Amino acid sequence: MVFSFIVIPLLVAAFLPLIGKISKKLLPDVLTNAALAFLLFNSILLVKPIFTNGFIIQNLSWLGEKVNLQIALDGFSLFMLFTISLVSLCVSLFSIDYLEHYGHKANFYALFLVMIAAMNGLVLVPDLFSVYLFMEVAAVASYALVAFGLGSDELEASYKYLMLSVVASAFVLLSITVIFGLTGNLSFQAVAQGLQDLNARIVLGVCVAFFIMGFGLKAALIPFHAWLPDAHPSAPAPISAMLSGLLIKVSGIYALFRILYSVIGLSPALSRLLMALGIISVLVAALLALGQKDIKRMLAYSSISQVGYIVLGLALGTPLGIAGGLFHLFNHATAKGLLFLNSGSIQHITGTRNLDELGGLGKKVPITSGTNLVGALSIAGVPPLAGFWSKLIIIIALVQAKAFGYALVAILASILTLWYYLLIQRKAFFGQVREKWQQVREAPFWMSAANIILALICLLVGIFFTPVYKTWISPAAEALARGIHQVLMWGL
Amino acid sequence: MAIQIILLCGLIIFSVLAILLKDLIKAALSLAVASLFLGIIFFLLAAPYAGVFEISVVAGLITVLFVLTIALTKKDGEVKESRIVHLAFPIFFILFIVIDGLVMKSLLQKIPVLPIGPEAGTFGEVLWKQRTFDLVAQIGIILAGVLAVLALFRKKEEDKDE
Repeated sequence: MVFSFIVIPLLVAAFLPLIGKISKKLLPDVLTNAALAFLLFNSILLVKPIFTNGFIIQNLSWLGEKVNLQIALDGFSLFMLFTISLVSLCVSLFSIDYLEHYGHKANFYALFLVMIAAMNGLVLVPDLFSVYLFMEVAAVASYALVAFGLGSDELEASYKYLMLSVVASAFVLLSITVIFGLTGNLSFQAVAQGLQDLNARIVLGVCVAFFIMGFGLKAALIPFHAWLPDAHPSAPAPISAMLSGLLIKVSGIYALFRILYSVIGLSPALSRLLMALGIISVLVAALLALGQKDIKRMLAYSSISQVGYIVLGLALGTPLGIAGGLFHLFNHATAKGLLFLNSGSIQHITGTRNLDELGGLGKKVPITSGTNLVGALSIAGVPPLAGFWSKLIIIIALVQAKAFGYALVAILASILTLWYYLLIQRKAFFGQVREKWQQVREAPFWMSAANIILALICLLVGIFFTPVYKTWISPAAEALARGIHQVLMWGL
Repeated sequence: MAIQIILLCGLIIFSVLAILLKDLIKAALSLAVASLFLGIIFFLLAAPYAGVFEISVVAGLITVLFVLTIALTKKDGEVKESRIVHLAFPIFFILFIVIDGLVMKSLLQKIPVLPIGPEAGTFGEVLWKQRTFDLVAQIGIILAGVLAVLALFRKKEEDKDE
């Protein structure tokens, strides 16, 4: 049942504060992880129906009467659901031990589950206004989660995030309003149909510009990135992993490209504009990341840079480019999730995130060091790890499309990426152990376990590249590449 | 027509008051009156459910939240602002009105007439038959808001216990 992706996390979230009164730790831990494991299992079960049918449309009925709760699942949405379930399960496993010093686990998990339900909802709904609403639900939950530590910098980061995010929502809502005015409808299918018969290029251009500004802010594309390097490092590590790994992709990239491909249609001019935004993000954010001393801040800039790669691939518009972009989205979600969780481990172990203070931790904490290396090399694009393949596909797609300049910059920025990740590795883990870190011990069991699972995914997806590509990536890429025909096929 | 102009003017005047007034309670109440005007405008434009939500949520619920928050924070409700804000706002406001007028004038001519009435049917029909999913998302938003309050105001309670 596809509705379970929205209903189960919402239900569990609603009861968690009450359950927290009875059991402070055990029950919230078990319930949250069980719910997320179920969703992951469910998303794997849905592969077969999607493979045979191409899409699933479900209507909910209440006491025998249809209540017009409708969701549409195709290859692209299933791919996103799988990514969300996988990364969020690892993050919640990590939280079991990490949240010990924050306390109030039940409240944390409840907000966390609301955010996941909202992301799942955003991926599943077939109409513009619901996309907006679920985007807001996820955003409200994430403001609270960024500020969860209640320190002054957390609250400041959350406030900054809130202010810029509201601007993004306003642009998106404005654009949706104008589209509603143009077509008299909000469902993807009716809007796609309506816009085809309509000759309103200028107004539609304004709408698309607003969408790019709104979703670009959510995805932190340069020049809309100002909030991310503050918000992501200030949040607790599991939430940084969720925000960087998933939220910017779901409420930024997914929403933007679903609407551009399946509703409005990607024109060549639009493709060039987005590619330009993508390549600027790739290069500028990589350069900005080099100068950072705080690990999480460096990772946050790296997220902007990697989102640039994803946009570059998706905006190119060729089937190979789309596949590369989506594959990189998955790889970045797992690897960046891993790296942010690792930064949480480092902070948990040493109490600092400043690279200048760390040094030689590798011998003391081999698991954290090893998993960090895997994540870093995967994002930097070193074979045989997963990130290598996705970057390779994007670059091949760029070369095929004769965008040689873009391909060159993408390769150069990839070298920059490797540079700053090796910087983290060298300053934090390699070399002689500093005096004050002589007594440090490896991170607790669940934190290490979550890191190992994500590192294994980065490694195994790289090694078993072909089956993964066939099962998850290519149905998703096909769904996007069909463009407007995709939603017209749904027959809502 | 006259009623519409009065309503629109009231909306703008009370919105501006909400920004300019220094007493926070008065500012919050002006905002409530402004959204009351907006709610009535929605009704007149045949958008009953937008009107209901505007009046119940914005004019009602949010005002209560604002007044509560202001009451909880400090006795002194006055905001200290630099004079520049007070000078800059009217200038930006007038500039905005001029630009908005120009943009809307050119834009409105290009938007074709609505193919069908956007809100055919009664309020209940619209709410339950056409836009049910929004209700799920609204439940989500309220849940997220409540949980956020629970999570972010937890320290205060702990302090009290101590």
